[in-house]
Amino acid sequence: MAYVATRGGESAIEQSERLFREEIGAFDQSRVETVKESMPYLIDRVMGEASLYDEDLAALAIAQTGGELYEAVLLLRAWRTSQPRLTVAEPIEQTELFTHRRISAAFKDIPGGQVLGPTLDYAHRILATDVLRGADYFPDPVEPAENPAPAHQPSVSAWQADNELVDLPAADQTSGNDIPDLTREPLLFPAKRAHTLQSLARAETGGALALGYAAMRGYGQAHPTVNELRLAEADVVVKHPDGRAFSAGRVKVSQAEVVDKKGDKLDLGFAATLGWNEVKCISAATLDLNSEGAEKGSATEEEFFLYHTEGVESSGFCIHFKLPHYVTFQSSLDAMRDAKAKKAATTKTSEPAE
Amino acid sequence: MADTDPHLDALAKADPTKLKQFAETLIGDLGDIEVLHSRTGLVMLPMRDTAQGTVFHLGEVLVSEAHIRADAQEGYGLRRGHDLEASMAMALIDLAIKRGIQADICTKFCEAARHTQSAQDDATLRRVEATRVNMETF
Repeated sequence: MAYVATRGGESAIEQSERLFREEIGAFDQSRVETVKESMPYLIDRVMGEASLYDEDLAALAIAQTGGELYEAVLLLRAWRTSQPRLTVAEPIEQTELFTHRRISAAFKDIPGGQVLGPTLDYAHRILATDVLRGADYFPDPVEPAENPAPAHQPSVSAWQADNELVDLPAADQTSGNDIPDLTREPLLFPAKRAHTLQSLARAETGGALALGYAAMRGYGQAHPTVNELRLAEADVVVKHPDGRAFSAGRVKVSQAEVVDKKGDKLDLGFAATLGWNEVKCISAATLDLNSEGAEKGSATEEEFFLYHTEGVESSGFCIHFKLPHYVTFQSSLDAMRDAKAKKAATTKTSEPAE
Repeated sequence: MADTDPHLDALAKADPTKLKQFAETLIGDLGDIEVLHSRTGLVMLPMRDTAQGTVFHLGEVLVSEAHIRADAQEGYGLRRGHDLEASMAMALIDLAIKRGIQADICTKFCEAARHTQSAQDDATLRRVEATRVNMETF
């Protein structure tokens, strides 16, 4: 096989990038603000997949890439590596979440009750086409209740444990820099649970949904029911140099527990992410629920779903196929031509003489 | 939320414009200040898994940090987002309270910020409560 060395294309490369950016057009801080204010769920999705919480940076990444989400997430992950890690916050505990939405599909009367929060689950899906004809769209305002909801809600799984419906292991006491961290150590299998959950937290939404949906449709071993779903805000609790703890502000988080019957107890799957993204959390929790004892190479096997929901790596691998593969492809062509020639020669020698 | 300092909580969540305006009024009285850090960086945020109790990293949060010192006392500011002036303003107020400089006024500022935040939370939770489901069983 001969090497096929190529060069050239510098000008084309430069112009292609210019063409991409020219089609997006100039943008300024006001466009970034508009993206941030008008598309909070897109911002949340990008922050979750980038594993970096900052609405301004996420909006900038979306504006700069014209909404090419894989590129936006890649930009944020790359930027993240340029920043020092100042500290590790105190772990978020479920019962301390400032809760906006909390439902259970498994139990009607969960302690604390069910609040729907912001959702389109029960809405008519009607496109507001009048806007295209010049009408403004004004959403109907919420009619606030007289009394506020409790800011914090109890844990459904803790209540189930009290009623001997689930077995909950003792709480892990690992803290700070001792918590396994995928950004500083490789993902090895069998994966540490902390790695699995961190990886699912930054999983690509579509990938998590596709594999989770496969399990839901029957390709997994366990069918999920939502035990508890929360959209909430969590305090980022850090320490003053003199030792006082304080909240540096809140971030939006979502978490889902799904449940399935296992023997005389219930089996739980769990996932959470930065930002509000319940589809990803339910899908990822379904994968977690199904992973124990999953068949090698199946969608619910941990190694399979952790590798295939890592959006930056998988999209990068996909798009690398556009880069020149002249050497490998020429090798395939040579082999194909060689085989053809041998077949032709064999056919000729086996023909009967006239 | 477990045992956090109410003044620092309030300053970290305070309106940045009001925070900066108020901190400006303290600078003259604070004297020479050594800035140990004024930077942006990340805080890793762990979370506890409710199914097995495992603590894992949910992701990182962009913050601005200011760490200052004067007369052997340290002031500290750390807030979510990219705003070095706001984190410095927080550190100045924290330092002023520690050194007893306009401490009453600083404490009142913190209390006012806390009151505003509490009112915002109350409004949010009354909107959330409007979505509570009262199920009837037939």
